Amino acid sequence: MTTAEAEALDFEPEDDDLMDEDGAPDADASPRAPLPKLKSAITGGAASSSLAPRKTKGRGFREEADAERNNRLAGRDFDSLDTDGGPGPLRSIEGWIILVTGVHEEAQEDDLQNAFAEFGDIKNLHLNLDRRTGFVKGYALIEYENFEEAQNAIAQLNGTELLTQTIIVDWAFSNGPSVRRRNMRKRREPRGHRSRSPNRRY
Amino acid sequence: MAQYEEDNAEFYVRYYVGHKGKFGHEFLEFEFRPDGKLRYANNSNYKNDIMIRKEVWLTPAVLRECRRIISESEIMKEDDSNWPEPDRVGRQELEIVMGNEHISFTTSKIGSLVDVQTSKDPDGLRIFYYLVQDLKCFVFSLISLHFKIKPI
Repeated sequence: MTTAEAEALDFEPEDDDLMDEDGAPDADASPRAPLPKLKSAITGGAASSSLAPRKTKGRGFREEADAERNNRLAGRDFDSLDTDGGPGPLRSIEGWIILVTGVHEEAQEDDLQNAFAEFGDIKNLHLNLDRRTGFVKGYALIEYENFEEAQNAIAQLNGTELLTQTIIVDWAFSNGPSVRRRNMRKRREPRGHRSRSPNRRY
Repeated sequence: MAQYEEDNAEFYVRYYVGHKGKFGHEFLEFEFRPDGKLRYANNSNYKNDIMIRKEVWLTPAVLRECRRIISESEIMKEDDSNWPEPDRVGRQELEIVMGNEHISFTTSKIGSLVDVQTSKDPDGLRIFYYLVQDLKCFVFSLISLHFKIKPI
């Protein structure tokens, strides 16, 4: 079915390139809307065609998706912060966020404070818990005000040990796609505007 | 390299919870796209009728952590066939593509663990119940830190 193929593009980074190039950032809403089945949205993906047939499971495949479902996350009116579209970290609204993984399940906020405050004032620290066990889930998100502080923390603490476990420290947000496709087209144009314009069909 | 392979493997996650009632269609939905884009939408008409829609590119490190949370939950081994059907009170959808497996589960809203225990598949539904909370927690932290909004 042809709509499936059109829909599949929606998950490809180059789809965004297309949209930016023709100046219609919300064009991906159009092929998305008429798609009748949720299933087609992903199994039709070009990237998977070379892989073994995908095993599917769940009632979601047996139901007719209402048009609304396909529209909810369609590409229109999503706010984002300014980005130059290039690689590299992206500034958040009040600072720079880094992700720490491999965090020991019994770690306390103080343990992270002690290690990370060395590089700058920690503006925010999220040390989320596993909802079932109540222990630390394994990651922390830390906000610094300045780029250099975050960069130094990553450089100095990535791969080091915290409470007997090796931690990975990296940026959380990026300026552009994190996965490069073999068939990826020209890099996306800079996106200067803060939010997307309304769907052209309106 | 294993890490390289993992980073290039197909990965997609979408979660939806919502209902249609006297305040219209109220829902929360987010997705992690294969290219690293996180999209978040929250429509509550109760106090204001503004739909929150946010999107941001994530680094491979964040996607890797999301994948870890899902893998360790072992949700891909479960099946929704004995879970409560979505109903008037609400519906949840969890769609995940990981490697060559693709699940698309639907169920009703789960009020508490009592609903889980009294269901026909408490072990499976419990995994779903906690995974959804862990994923929401992760997404809310990402969105609230990046945009300085309170997601709910």
